[in-house]
Amino acid sequence: MANQKPGKDNFTRNLVVAVVVGVLLIMVGGTFLSKSSKPSAAIPASVSSSNGYGIVFNGDLKSVPVVDIYEDFQCPVCQQFEKMNGDYLESLITDKKATVVYHTLSFLGPESINAANAAACSADEGKFLSYHKTLYANQQPENSGAWSNDVLVVLGQAAGITSKTFTSCVNKMSYTGWVSNVAAAGAKANVNSTPTVFVNGKELDRKTEYFSADKFKAAIERG
Amino acid sequence: MKKYFPWAGLLGRLILGGVLLAAGLLKYQHLDKSQMAVRAYELLPISVANFLGIALPFLEIAVGVLLVLGAATRIAAAVGGSLMVIFIFGISQAWARGLSIDCGCFGGGGQVAPGATNYLPEILRDSALALIAIYLFRYPRSKFGLDRHTSDGEQING
Repeated sequence: MANQKPGKDNFTRNLVVAVVVGVLLIMVGGTFLSKSSKPSAAIPASVSSSNGYGIVFNGDLKSVPVVDIYEDFQCPVCQQFEKMNGDYLESLITDKKATVVYHTLSFLGPESINAANAAACSADEGKFLSYHKTLYANQQPENSGAWSNDVLVVLGQAAGITSKTFTSCVNKMSYTGWVSNVAAAGAKANVNSTPTVFVNGKELDRKTEYFSADKFKAAIERG
Repeated sequence: MKKYFPWAGLLGRLILGGVLLAAGLLKYQHLDKSQMAVRAYELLPISVANFLGIALPFLEIAVGVLLVLGAATRIAAAVGGSLMVIFIFGISQAWARGLSIDCGCFGGGGQVAPGATNYLPEILRDSALALIAIYLFRYPRSKFGLDRHTSDGEQING
């Protein structure tokens, strides 16, 4: 066999090693660049980088609890969480009882990025909460092809968004830079699971407080 | 007996290299999740864990490719074996501390429900891979590899 001549030089091998190591070093460098936060990326309405790029409701209120919610629109457990606590969270916002910050993570793949981008577009229309609800009501298996941008536009109509700016914002993926900034901020905040909820910077007890409506309420009122 | 060593080496290379390559590629597809998986071990400062979550898949792919091709087998086996030892340590400490995490070995990772952990099979698998790495480090000569060896009786006849 060709590879069994003793004493033959190692040129091919060295070349292969150099190419493999070189290509991967370049890729790793490129990945770090693309993952670093982009302060210049467009951000939707009601977002500030000081809140980890989250979408903020009642940010101007003082002496109310601050509730940070990290979620991924494709995560089934987030859907259960939304079913149990979504209306309560909305009531906190409308009754001005808490500052609520939504962090739309996208670690489950491309359709999570589509959904997070579309949600940011809906925030510009002042319809984030109803769009949020519509997405969870129409959640499909992860990356099944269900959440193309076309479908996300139609879901926007279901949530009462009809403007052309929304349509083009969704189709152009105007907020992908922001989506990756949200992800980077979530990584810095040590969010290792979705949903993750912080009340005044303290994480809720995963064993008890996420999936009991009463305990969740109590944890937020405790502040 | 010794004439079968290069064949065993080939098998070892393909198993260890294939596993590392698959693990790296699966992680590469979801780097956010990979970072999350490393953070969930609660061993490293968050910034270091986030760095490792991105760098590790590339390292695994590189070592996996080199092992499959049989290029720099000895070094690749040493790196691959070291990775396995680190993984075994990480999983063991998570188990001992009562964390509930997915090892994130093949993508995935992060916190899981208590009781949904799978620590023992993960440790056994990584131990077996570490043994393969040790074998390859000790006997790096193998069939169909790019490495050349001089005055190598086994390979000529093998």
